[in-house]
Amino acid sequence: MALYNFKKIMVVPTSKEFIDITLSKTQRKTPTVVHKHYQIHRIRHFYMRKVKFTQQNYHDRLSQILTDFPKLDDIHPFYADLMNVLYDKDHYKLALGQINIAKNLIDNVSKDYVRLMKYGDSLYRCKQLKRAALGRMCTIMKRQKQSLEYLEQVRQHLSRLPTIDPNTRTLLLCGYPNVGKSSFINKVTRADVEVQPYAFTTKSLFVGHMDYKYLRWQVVDTPGILDHPLEERNTIEMQAITALAHLRSAVLYVMDVSEQCGQTLEQQLELFNNIRPLFANKVRDGTCLSGFPTLFPQKIFADLTAEGISVIETSTLTEEGVMTVKTEACDKLLAHRVDGKMKGKKVHDVLNRLHLAVPAKRDEKARPPFIPEGARIGRKTMEVDAPKRKTERDLEVEMGDDYILDLQKYWDLMNQDEKYDVIPEIWEGHNIADYIDPDIMKKEEELKVKAGEYETDEESEDEEMQEIRQLAKQIREKRKLKIVCSKDKDVHGPRLPRTVKKVERKTLEKEMGDLGLDMTGKDDSHYAVNARRSRSVGVAKKRKREASVVPTSRTRSQSASRPPRDQSGVRDPKMAKQAKKLMKNQQKDMNRQGKKGEADRHVFDLKPKHLFSGKRKSGTNDHR
Amino acid sequence: MCLLPQPQNEHIELHRKRHGQRLDHQERKRKKESREAHERSHKARKMIGLKAKLYHKQRHSEKIQMKKTLKMHEQRKTKQKNDDKTPEGAVPAYLLDREGQSRAKILSNMIKQKRKEKAGKWEVPLPKVRAQGETEVLKVIRTGKRQKKAWKRMVTKVCFVGDNFTRKPPKYERFIRPMGLRFKKAHVTHPELKATFCLPILGVKKNPSSPLYTTLGVITKGTVVEVNVSELGLVTQGGKVIWGKYAQVTNNPENDGCINAVLLV
Repeated sequence: MALYNFKKIMVVPTSKEFIDITLSKTQRKTPTVVHKHYQIHRIRHFYMRKVKFTQQNYHDRLSQILTDFPKLDDIHPFYADLMNVLYDKDHYKLALGQINIAKNLIDNVSKDYVRLMKYGDSLYRCKQLKRAALGRMCTIMKRQKQSLEYLEQVRQHLSRLPTIDPNTRTLLLCGYPNVGKSSFINKVTRADVEVQPYAFTTKSLFVGHMDYKYLRWQVVDTPGILDHPLEERNTIEMQAITALAHLRSAVLYVMDVSEQCGQTLEQQLELFNNIRPLFANKVRDGTCLSGFPTLFPQKIFADLTAEGISVIETSTLTEEGVMTVKTEACDKLLAHRVDGKMKGKKVHDVLNRLHLAVPAKRDEKARPPFIPEGARIGRKTMEVDAPKRKTERDLEVEMGDDYILDLQKYWDLMNQDEKYDVIPEIWEGHNIADYIDPDIMKKEEELKVKAGEYETDEESEDEEMQEIRQLAKQIREKRKLKIVCSKDKDVHGPRLPRTVKKVERKTLEKEMGDLGLDMTGKDDSHYAVNARRSRSVGVAKKRKREASVVPTSRTRSQSASRPPRDQSGVRDPKMAKQAKKLMKNQQKDMNRQGKKGEADRHVFDLKPKHLFSGKRKSGTNDHR
Repeated sequence: MCLLPQPQNEHIELHRKRHGQRLDHQERKRKKESREAHERSHKARKMIGLKAKLYHKQRHSEKIQMKKTLKMHEQRKTKQKNDDKTPEGAVPAYLLDREGQSRAKILSNMIKQKRKEKAGKWEVPLPKVRAQGETEVLKVIRTGKRQKKAWKRMVTKVCFVGDNFTRKPPKYERFIRPMGLRFKKAHVTHPELKATFCLPILGVKKNPSSPLYTTLGVITKGTVVEVNVSELGLVTQGGKVIWGKYAQVTNNPENDGCINAVLLV
C-alpha cells in the first residue's frame, strides 16, 4: 500500500521510557497480592501471568513500531529514494532489524521462563524466576537505545516531509541556487517558501498546489543544484536530483539572466545540458528570470528552441510572463500525459464505452449554436487581460506619494457642487445629528399618501357623511376613555366566593318563593336540618362578630379562640421563626437522601461497586 | 487534496523567524523555569507508592552526583601537591622484572596443578556451599494404581545430561530429569578478563552436596562443571589448543533460569 502521509507513525519512546512504561503497566494491570500459603498452582499462575503480560506489552509496542514505519520496498520509488538520501537506507533497515530481533528475543525469553516456572515449587523460586525473566527482557530493551533514538529522529523528520503525489500532474522547478525558484512558486501557488538573497535558502523539497483548467496541479520547488558530478553531490542537492529522477512532471529550468545568482548564463546553460539525462521521459521547459529587463543575445537559446524547448521570459517582481509560463507548461504536460494514456492499454477499455452521438441532419437548414450577446461580450472581456476600470490601487501606484483616498467623489447628491462641503457636527449649540430634518415625519406621510397608502374615496362622500364619521370617531374615543376610567375604580374591593357566606334559611325560602316554588312545610328538608345541626344562633350572637368580618370555614370541633398548633408552642414570633428554621434544617438531610422520615433506614445499595472493586491503594474505603 | 497550504519542513522555525514570539514570551519562560523547583518539590512530597520509591532513589543518586561535581569544582580552586605523580617507567628496585624467574614460576604452577588434579583438590572461588538435602533436590513421585508406591524421584534442580543421553524405559527409571530443567549452556566469566561468554557444558565434574548428584548431573550452586572453551582460543605453552576447562557455578540456576559460572584458571 502506498503511503504518502507519514504523519501517523506512533511516537518511538526512548529505551528508558519504554522500560518504565511497560514495567509500571505490569505492576498496575496485574494482580499484586500473593501469599506463601496459596496453592502452588495459584502462585505459579500469578507469576506466569506477569511474565506473559510484560512480554505481550513489549511485543505489541515493538510490532506497532515495525508496522508504522514504511518499508522502503513497499512505497513509491520516489519516496524510497528520498528516504535513502535523507536517512541512509542501510542504517534505517538495520535499526528496524534490530527492533525485530529484540522482539523475537523477548518472546523467547518469556517462553523459556514460563516453561521453567512450571517446575517452581515455592513462592520464592517462582518470584525469582519472574524477576529474572523481567530483568532479561528489560536488558534486551536497554541495548536498543541507539536504534530507538535514531528511529525517533527519523519519525520526526518524516512527519514533516511534504506530501507529494508522484502520479499526479506536477511542475518541477530546478536550476542553480538563488535564481528565483521559490519566488516563482510563491507567486503561482499558496505555498509560503522562504525567499532570501543568499544561496541554498531552500534546503529541501517544497510543494504547492494551483488550479488550471479545472484541475489541481502540484508545483514542486527544489533546492538549487551546482554543477558537479553525481558522486560529489551533498544531501541537499541529492533531494533535488531524486525529485528530478522519479517524478513524472514538467520540468521548468529556471535561469537568472541578470546573473545575480553568481553564475553566468553560460554556466547555467552548461548545468542544463549536464542534467539533461534526467529529463528522460519528462516534458521540458526553459524559463528565464530577470530582475531588470536586459537585452540578451538570442542565439544562445536558438538551439534550445530548435529542439522544442520553449524559452519564456518572466519576472516575479513585475509579474510579467508568470501566467504564460504556467499555461504553457501545463498545456505541454497535459498533452504529454494524454499522449501517454492514449498509447497505453487502459484506454481501450474506456474507448470502447465512449461514443460521441451526433444528431442526424433532418433537413438542409443550418442550426448553429446560439450564444447570447451578453455572454459573447463577457467572454471577450475575460479574454482580454486589460482591466475594465481603473481601480484605486492603480491610481495610487500612478500618483505615488501624492495619492489621497477620496471617497466623496463617488457620492451621488442632488447638487453636485456640494460634494466637498464640510459638514459640521455642532451648530448653534445643537447636535446636527438630532435635527436632520424637522419636517421629516410630515414629509414621510406626504410621500406615503402620494404613493397611495391611505387611499379612501373621501371626495365622493358629502358633508353629512363626513359629519357623521367625525361624530362616530368622537364617540369611540369617549367610550374607550370611560372604560379605562371605570376599570381604575375598585368599587367592590377584593371579592370572596359566594360559598363563604352563610345563607340564611329565611332568605333562601323567600327567594325561592319569589321565583315560584312552594317553600311551605320544609322543616324536614336537608338545609333546615343542617342549619339546626350547626351552631345555634345564640352562639353566633355571643361572638358579636362584625358584619365586615367574614366567617372562616371551620368545623365545630375546632375552637376559634385557641391558636393553631404550630403557633401554640412558642408565642414569641422571633423564637417561633427560629424553631421553624431548626425543623427545616433537620429535614434537609433526610430530603436529600430521599428518606421518608427519621425512621426510614432502608439502604438501596448495600454493596456499591465503586467501594469494593479495584486495587486497595492508599486512601479510605468511604469514598475512594 | 488540500485547500489550505500544508505545513511543510521547518514551518515552525520559519514562523518564528517571520513573526517573532509572543510579547510576553521571555517573561513566561523565566517564570516557568523558576516555578520548576517548586513543582519538583511538590511532586517529591506528594508522591506515594512504588512510583515514589523509584523516584526517590533516582533523585538520591542525582543529588549525590551534584554534590560530587560541586566538590570537584571547589577543589579545583585550590592548588594541591600531587604526590602520586611519578614519572612513568620508574619502578622501585623490588618490583623490577626478572624474566628468568617468571618462567620458572609458570612451570612450577603447571606442576602444582597436575598434583592437585591427582589429589582431587581444587582451589575454587566458592570453597563452602550450603549442602542441599535430598528432600530439596529430589521430589517424590507417587505411582501405582492406588498411588501408594513412592520409589520414583523427580529432580527439581537444573541438571545436565549429555548429548547421547536416552532415558531408561519410563517404567523402570527411578530418577526423572524433566526436559524443561535440562540446560546445555552456561554463562562463564573469565576472572581476569572480566568478560562473560556463553559456552556449552561438557559435563558435571563434581557436585559438593553429594556424589549421587554428580552422577545424575544436577547443577546447583558450587558445582564444578567442565565447559568447552574453544571459543576463547586459549593455547598451552606447548602449542596445543585448550578446549575444555573447569568452571564453578556461582548462582542458583533454578531461581534464575540460567547458569552463571566462573572459569577456574
